[in-house]
Amino acid sequence: MQDSTNQNNPRTVRKLVGEGRTAVAQARMILLVMVNVAQLWILAATVEAALAHRYSALLPLVVASGICFVVTLTLIFWWRPASRRFTSSGYVKR
Amino acid sequence: MSSDLSKTIDKVLADTRSDESEVRLATAPHQHDFPYDREEEAQVTRREFCNFLGLTSAALFVGAAGFAGKAGLDARDVPEFVSAKVEGAQALAPGSSLNFRYPTTKDSAILIRTLDGEFHAFGQKCTHLSCPVYFERAHQRLECPCHDGAFDAKTGNVLYGPPPRPLDPIKLEVRTNGEVWAIGREASTGEHSL
Repeated sequence: MQDSTNQNNPRTVRKLVGEGRTAVAQARMILLVMVNVAQLWILAATVEAALAHRYSALLPLVVASGICFVVTLTLIFWWRPASRRFTSSGYVKR
Repeated sequence: MSSDLSKTIDKVLADTRSDESEVRLATAPHQHDFPYDREEEAQVTRREFCNFLGLTSAALFVGAAGFAGKAGLDARDVPEFVSAKVEGAQALAPGSSLNFRYPTTKDSAILIRTLDGEFHAFGQKCTHLSCPVYFERAHQRLECPCHDGAFDAKTGNVLYGPPPRPLDPIKLEVRTNGEVWAIGREASTGEHSL
């Protein structure tokens, strides 16, 4: 019983790592949703600026939307949680 | 086997509760041809949802870029204005309005004759979100029905509401025989061309 709560126990470490990964994946998903909401707001602002003939605001808005898109791609494809350093047995790769 | 299937169908039609395993058993011979897993299909994985968010982000970016690009191109394309007679303007009573098309047949415009007899004309698109404005006789002003914006009937300036700039004024010329001609249109303020 005491052994199962030991932080050095591989099973405990694996469980903790698994929970950590789930939390990170959920945080990533929430970030993606937030970026999408920001992009939606930017699109609305772009439409209003175009209709109001405020052309100087258009380029910054498109650039901001592009940055949001790059952030989204980064979150989906190129960003990995630090816990990937752990192997399936629960130990840190040297 | 087919009797099993018809029994299950009868059961479903009779609204008797039938669990998933029963349906699976009855449809077993057809599973090979139609490998449809209802439980799996009902779920969306985290990866699928993230991919969907990625696609949404791409669509929003393309939408913003496309809208801005089109607006920019339209602003560069300044049309040459040709004088056009506003039919029926002579008979227009003071304190009333008349719709016409200017500078092209796609552009609706509104001609107003104020109580003092002067003519004023504006593009009919509200500068907020392009709803058509109308002349409100009781208050002698132009109003937008979509978001409660209002414009001055003489100057086109915003009186209240969300419109960010005045209406686009149309230049008029009253000729000797009383005919009213539209001779040009302006962008209401500042930034018109890129």
